[in-house]
Amino acid sequence: MPEIFIDGHPVQAEPGQSVLQVALANGFYIPYFCWHPALSVAGNCRICCVQVEGRSWAEISCNLPVTEGMRILTDSDVVREQRRATLQFITLNHPVDCGICDKAGECTLQDYHYAYNGRPSISLEPKVRADKFHALSGRILLDNERCILCSRCVRFTREKSKSHALGIKRRGDESLLRAAEDHALDTDWYSDNIIDICPVGALLSRSFLYKARVWYLQPVPSVCPGCARGCAVDLWVRKPQWRLKSLAAKQNTSIMRVTPHGTPGIDGPWICNKGRDLARIFERPRALQALRKGQPVEYGVAVVAARKLVADAKRAVALVSNWGSNEQLTAFRDRLGTRFTVYIKHDHMPQSGEPVEDDFLIRADKNPNTAGAVALFGARSDRAAEFPADTDLVLVWGEGCDFTRLPRGVKIVFLNAYLQPENGHADVFLPVTIQMERPGHYTNGDGVVQAFVAAVAPPPGVADAATLFAALAASEVIPA
Amino acid sequence: MKHLIPEFERLKARFPAGFESSLVLPCVRRIQEDRGFVADSDIDGLVAYLGVPRIQIEEVLSYYTQFRRTPVGRWHLQTCRNVSCSMCGAERLIAHVGASLGIGPGETTADGRITFSTVECLGSCGTAPVVVVNETYHESMSIERLDALLRELG
Repeated sequence: MPEIFIDGHPVQAEPGQSVLQVALANGFYIPYFCWHPALSVAGNCRICCVQVEGRSWAEISCNLPVTEGMRILTDSDVVREQRRATLQFITLNHPVDCGICDKAGECTLQDYHYAYNGRPSISLEPKVRADKFHALSGRILLDNERCILCSRCVRFTREKSKSHALGIKRRGDESLLRAAEDHALDTDWYSDNIIDICPVGALLSRSFLYKARVWYLQPVPSVCPGCARGCAVDLWVRKPQWRLKSLAAKQNTSIMRVTPHGTPGIDGPWICNKGRDLARIFERPRALQALRKGQPVEYGVAVVAARKLVADAKRAVALVSNWGSNEQLTAFRDRLGTRFTVYIKHDHMPQSGEPVEDDFLIRADKNPNTAGAVALFGARSDRAAEFPADTDLVLVWGEGCDFTRLPRGVKIVFLNAYLQPENGHADVFLPVTIQMERPGHYTNGDGVVQAFVAAVAPPPGVADAATLFAALAASEVIPA
Repeated sequence: MKHLIPEFERLKARFPAGFESSLVLPCVRRIQEDRGFVADSDIDGLVAYLGVPRIQIEEVLSYYTQFRRTPVGRWHLQTCRNVSCSMCGAERLIAHVGASLGIGPGETTADGRITFSTVECLGSCGTAPVVVVNETYHESMSIERLDALLRELG
């Protein structure tokens, strides 16, 4: 293990590491644009320069392998001057339109400018004009004036998503990031990751464009329910103190964007586009009214009716949701498990046009907690299930149940969060919360248990399924 | 492009396996020599033949100003606008060509005879300013010599 000295401090390095990697791992910060821990080294931005003691020049640390006894200076006069000059060069044609840029607040160019340069451009030449709002794909816009040509996005499409959808065309000060003419970026299911890794505001999400300033938002740690991979994600919602009366109610509580949480081992810094679009799953019209044979009733009345059906049933079958958290599934087993024959229902199946499985992140099971449910109830899927002949009650928890498959004449208790036609077909329908309204845990397809927390408060009139199971089992009604 | 594949096969034999992307440049040069420009169908053919991602071929074609994606006129007149030529009066030549032919850089005359482009360095700084017509270099150009050249082409 080579030992090197950074600013005079001895640190241990692995053979083959670059100076930048060693410095970052040991708490010495070196700025970088084009380097990314998960991508190959390009070495084109030149901002990560350091000085090797005894040499009169600065060199880039991302491509400088460590050698025994190397002495590195990260903040010498030579380095400071080189960084300042590099930032002057990078901002030569950058429009510095931070005031209207979605990246402002989390832009590395902005941060480095304040940290290392701090001076306005010394160039008197007019800036080179280039395309604004160039549509790279249906999801992503490109601002060529802001682009600093670091090529992180190009390398992502070549090394990670393997779509080869992006390239840098032309050359010199006419260089432009462009999508391949075969529109490969439109079918790249990981394309939105390039928005995250863009160090400036050049790549813009169409769904997030001009929606909110990032400093009004907070990331809420969650788990993507899109497939059994269970990528750790951050749901970005408005900070409580910035939920304003002047905004539409939906704007105050909706998911503004979804980004990877960056958990090593699960998904790293990447998620697929389905994870970006969780709002499409979570923000469907909600069921807010308890129903009895399709007629609106008070929540308490519905719970009493459901409890009576459960108590009177001679042979009860439950289809439990694999979108339920471990806590909810455990609550079901503890409270009601002995009264029901349990099958695990697959709430979501692959949609048409959606990739079923690939060798990167996407898994074929489009549900977050099948493993958690199987651990509690065994691998009994509802799809293979033959209901016992004397079944007289079916408790359906969650969406995705084909009601026509249920035995004729059985009583149905249905717990669902969304407004769907089946809700009215149940004998008793009870609206429940969704993932972003409660804390819990999911076990992903590889057996890793991950936590999510509540991002927003549940709407009035819905209950957590775990509370509901206690109410259905109890002798007294617990009001919602 | 398909009729060139036997030639490409001979080229391929000169490269180690796995270096298909190195064949892009000689292949597109040969295609342009054959057709006069590189058509979209040629790129599709090369993608299928070499197994190289399409974007890499597009990058090569856009990097070198010598490659064309659309047909040009009978005469392709290219004027350097880089430092050495500019210092020796290339800007005046460019303005003069535009005024004489009534077209700007990147355009073709209405009769389809002459296409006019401005390009970066043509590698002949010692004899700047330089105008290239198809493959022929016309060095140390002046307005008078340019007029003579345009009359000859006209």
